[in-house]
Amino acid sequence: MASFVPTSQDTVEDQRLYTQARLVEVECLDCLARVGVKKNSEHQTSVQWTAEAQAQCPDLVRRKAAADGARLVHARCPRLAASIEAAVADGRIQIGAEDGY
Amino acid sequence: MADPTTQTRTLDHGSQPERFARGWHCLGLASQFKDGKPHAVEAFGGKLVVWENSKGELGVLDGYCRHMGGDLTQGTVKGDEIGCPFHDWRWGADGRCKQIPYARRVPLRARTKAYETVIRNDSLLIWHDPEGSKADYDILPPELPDIGNREVYTDWIWNTVPIKGSHCRELIDNVVDMAHFYYVHFAFPTDFRNVFEDHMATQYMASKGRPDVAGGYGDADMFLKSEATYYGPAYMINWLEVDYKGFVTEVILINCHIPTGPDSFLLQYGITVKKPEGLDDKTANFIGKKYADMFGDGFLQDVHIWQNKVPVQNPLLCEEDGPVYQLRRWYEQFYVDVADIEPEMRARFEFEVDTTKANEYWHEEVAENLRRIEAEKAENPESSDAGVS
Repeated sequence: MASFVPTSQDTVEDQRLYTQARLVEVECLDCLARVGVKKNSEHQTSVQWTAEAQAQCPDLVRRKAAADGARLVHARCPRLAASIEAAVADGRIQIGAEDGY
Repeated sequence: MADPTTQTRTLDHGSQPERFARGWHCLGLASQFKDGKPHAVEAFGGKLVVWENSKGELGVLDGYCRHMGGDLTQGTVKGDEIGCPFHDWRWGADGRCKQIPYARRVPLRARTKAYETVIRNDSLLIWHDPEGSKADYDILPPELPDIGNREVYTDWIWNTVPIKGSHCRELIDNVVDMAHFYYVHFAFPTDFRNVFEDHMATQYMASKGRPDVAGGYGDADMFLKSEATYYGPAYMINWLEVDYKGFVTEVILINCHIPTGPDSFLLQYGITVKKPEGLDDKTANFIGKKYADMFGDGFLQDVHIWQNKVPVQNPLLCEEDGPVYQLRRWYEQFYVDVADIEPEMRARFEFEVDTTKANEYWHEEVAENLRRIEAEKAENPESSDAGVS
């Protein structure tokens, strides 16, 4: 059963724009986990994981096991962060939003 | 298709869910129910009865007797059961009628809605699921070490605020709302991150108070470090480190709510302070009260906004805004059948916002406000309370 149902088709399009548009696939140079990355500015980064990528990142798996569900693992994986920086450096990730998304 | 940049944008109010979220909900401090009397709690569009049995355990049932609809919250605790005020049918915490004093037998079908309960961090939590599933104990909020130890933490200060005319998702939206800390709570966010994963959604934030406005999260001398995680749809633990002129206090803030109707909920928040070394209880409790007032005022600032705003399914975001749509996608998992949960509702999502740009602009605005306050003081020396409107 759906909830919070939008009444306009434009809203469905907005949902797509804000959650999926401009997501660039980045592969971790270390563990090869693939995530979606978006940067609205130099210091702003969104990273969309998938269950598959989460299972593939040894750093995340290890820290998650250590946290035992009590606190969410929040620090970014440093290897993935480096891979994202590399993707920015060689122009694969464009910095700057398109009208807010 | 028409060009959206030349069209007037409309607000999509959408339609609200017809059900209440699946998950653990906190009814308040357990101690308040332990006086041998039945207690009424409005929840999920109805009323629940809560009472303590002879072993000190709390039972939670639907508030209305399945016999003739009597109000169990006005009944009497008899042994381990709650007796209905109408015909004294005795209900046990497992939802079964144990005895009807004037009848030889209890009908086999005499079963009412019983909620599974857990005491966690001194509070009573119940499992609610419109699909009627067994409680999931693996996703309970974590136990906070030493939280019940009065040597280490102060007593809870626990407050409730009934909210009418707003769906509880308004409260959830705050998790990603970096900018409202400046406008609503008068604090500069200096660091801001979100992580959503599985049944958890977290906000990490560091902020300092605005010098030009009083009554927000402290003044210019106050630095806050905050880690706040929703464990499921309705229970948040907020670990706070408050640095006031170099004096650091650890504060635990529980922010939870019970939906009471389609557009109403009971907001509850509890505060306990880790007693700083070398401080007597009276001073520690005073500090606890001070922070409870501060965060309490903060909630009231939010409440004022909620009660005057309209619901919006299609918020228009700028590039500095937080991930509202991703948060709402995460929140949706609690409102659909388990079979309909999409992988992206629970997949990990990380967001880090650059607060530099926003802060540059805000610092200018604050500087301008301070200049104006000074100028007004100079013009009008008698009035000492010239402030910012």
